[in-house]
Amino acid sequence: MIALLLVLMLQTTKVPDAAQFVGAPQSTPLAGAQLDTRTVEIAGQLRCPVCQGLSVGDSPSAMAMNMKEQVRELLARGYTREQILAYFEQSYGEFVLLKPKFRGVDSLVWLLPLIALAIGGALVAMKMRKLERPVATAPHDAGDEYVNRVRQLVEKE
Amino acid sequence: MNRTVLVIGILITAAIVALFAFSFGRDPQHINSPLVGRIAPRFALRAVGTGEIVDIESLRGKPVVLNFWATWCMPCHAEHPILQQASRALGSDVQFVGVVFGDTEENIQAFIRERGEAYPTLLDDKGKTSIAYGVGGVPETFFIDRNGKIVAKYEGPLSFEMLQTYVRKVLS
Repeated sequence: MIALLLVLMLQTTKVPDAAQFVGAPQSTPLAGAQLDTRTVEIAGQLRCPVCQGLSVGDSPSAMAMNMKEQVRELLARGYTREQILAYFEQSYGEFVLLKPKFRGVDSLVWLLPLIALAIGGALVAMKMRKLERPVATAPHDAGDEYVNRVRQLVEKE
Repeated sequence: MNRTVLVIGILITAAIVALFAFSFGRDPQHINSPLVGRIAPRFALRAVGTGEIVDIESLRGKPVVLNFWATWCMPCHAEHPILQQASRALGSDVQFVGVVFGDTEENIQAFIRERGEAYPTLLDDKGKTSIAYGVGGVPETFFIDRNGKIVAKYEGPLSFEMLQTYVRKVLS
C-alpha cells in the first residue's frame, strides 16, 4: 500500500518551468492590484502567436489567455518583466515581442524612419535654398541699351 | 536636381523591389524555432486513456517524434494515419509522442476510438507545454535526438516522405 502511494506521489505531472529557461525569480512576488496591472502591461507587450497583429492582452483566443495566465503566474512567483519576456522569446523567438529590440537587422525598424526623415528634410532644405536664391537679371545698362535701341527703331519709323 | 531626384527614386525603388524579392516565397507565419539545437524543455504529462505519466526525460537514449495536435485541426486528421503508420513501422527505434493542444479529453478519446492510437497521447493542461515549445498552431512536430536535443521543428501536416527525412536526421 505504501509502495503504491509512493509510486502515485512520484507520478505527478510536470510542465516545463520558466526556471529551465531564465533561472530563478529575481524579484519579489506580486499580488493584488499590482499583480493585475503588471499582468496587463506585460501581456500587452507579447504578440499572440495564433492571431493577426494582436497582443496577448487584447486577444480572446485560448492560446493568448493561457499565455496571459502564465504571465500572471510568473509575476506571482517573483519573475521580473525582463525574465518573463526572455522566457517567451526563448520559446517563440523575437517574433513574440511586439516591440522589436534595437539589435541586428531589427534595428532597421527604428533607423529607417529616421533615415527617411533625414533624407526628406535634406531634399526640402535644398529646394528651399534654391527658391530663395535671387534670379540672375541682365545688367541694368544693357537693359537701357536695349530699350534705347528699340526706341530709336520705333522713332525712325 | 532632376538627376538627384532620379537617383534617389531609383535607390528607393531598388530597396523596395529587393525587399519584395527577399520576402516572396517565404511564409510570414513561419518562424525559425529558437529551441532547435537546445535540450527539449522537460515535461511529464498524463496520457489520455491509460492515465500513465510520460516523462520526456525518461525517453532519453531514444529519438523522439513529438507531435502537437488537436481533434479540431483538419490537417491533423490528414497527418494522423501517417504518424500512426510510421510509429508502427519504426517500432522501438523511435518513440512517438502526441501532445494535445487546446482540446478536451472526451474529444480526444472519441477521436482515438475511431481512428486508433499507436503511441501515447498526452494532455497539456492550460497549454503550458505548448507555450514552452513555442507552438503557434497545430500540427507542429519536434524531432528530438537520443541526447534530448531538438534537431528540427516542422510546422504543418507531415507527409510520409517528410517524416522519413526528419526521422533519418534524428537517427543519424
